[in-house]
Amino acid sequence: MFSQANPKQRALVIGLIVLGILFTIFFGMRAFHAYKKFGGHRPPPPGKVETDVELVRDWMPIPFISRMYRVPEKNIFDALKIPPLGNHNKSLKDLNRKYYPNQDGFVLSTVKATLLAFQQPTPTTDASRVTTTIPPPTALATP
Amino acid sequence: MSAFLLTQVINYGTPLLGLILLLGALGFPLGTSVIVIAAGAFSQQGILNWTNAILIGFAGSVIGDILSYSIGHFAKDWTQQHFGNSPAWINASEAFQKHAGLAIFLTRWLITAVAIPTNLIAGGSGYKFSHFLLYDMIGELIWILLYGGLGYLFGSQWELVYDFINNFGGLMLGLVIFGFGVYQVWHWQEKKKLAAN
Repeated sequence: MFSQANPKQRALVIGLIVLGILFTIFFGMRAFHAYKKFGGHRPPPPGKVETDVELVRDWMPIPFISRMYRVPEKNIFDALKIPPLGNHNKSLKDLNRKYYPNQDGFVLSTVKATLLAFQQPTPTTDASRVTTTIPPPTALATP
Repeated sequence: MSAFLLTQVINYGTPLLGLILLLGALGFPLGTSVIVIAAGAFSQQGILNWTNAILIGFAGSVIGDILSYSIGHFAKDWTQQHFGNSPAWINASEAFQKHAGLAIFLTRWLITAVAIPTNLIAGGSGYKFSHFLLYDMIGELIWILLYGGLGYLFGSQWELVYDFINNFGGLMLGLVIFGFGVYQVWHWQEKKKLAAN
């Protein structure tokens, strides 16, 4: 089959075929798994406010997170007990390194907790939305 | 590296995006595909202006490709001196000239892992610059619009898109390497048949 080629060329082509098969299997499987995850998600509707805090990453700066989740920056900085001044451009990882060097992942987890707390529904005081309670049905008295 | 760059793209916007794509096209391992998808998502979130992101990103990547083509072009004499008489180099150059347009086009957006070697070979083998630029611009535009567009569409869930595209690119590369090997074997078979006849 390889009689037209010299031994070097033969080895190179066999190597390429083996490498191609390995790449195809390895990345094919990974692509398949990624597709299964990716295929199960539909693009979010435009303008939708993000609520999934598991999407927060430690490379994100606080103003970006604030915008993504529509939570005021002040709430996040306050929760971290960090001054906003000079920290707007820093990632959560850098903030953790600077302010909490002995507590790995503290900033990330605190930010997630703050976002979750902000999403909790608060009891309403709006008079127009006061509802009356209906008593549960009672059995009719039989004569 | 990509995580650091993502933070900086949020902070410094489209000029940095253009610079990253330019350096990526020159061969710096900056993970430019992830940056393009993320830039699409940042545009959807209002962090970047999408028209600027497309224009500056496109300009950066095309300029980077032109520079890496030029590196190949200026190394042409050295390559000729060292490999000019080698039959393998002559064969490879001829084969490249035959399929150069397709190779340049596909390596911009589908098999991005071999984009830089393709630029260097195009420059070094004397492939016409105007043709290189045409295929390069079409391919880069598809890259920016497709990858960036998916990032824009999926917004904050862009990492799912990246995970798929990254592995799909690897799969394509594997198929191309395998196909090239099989083609070579077939080519030898044909030669053998002709010699026998």
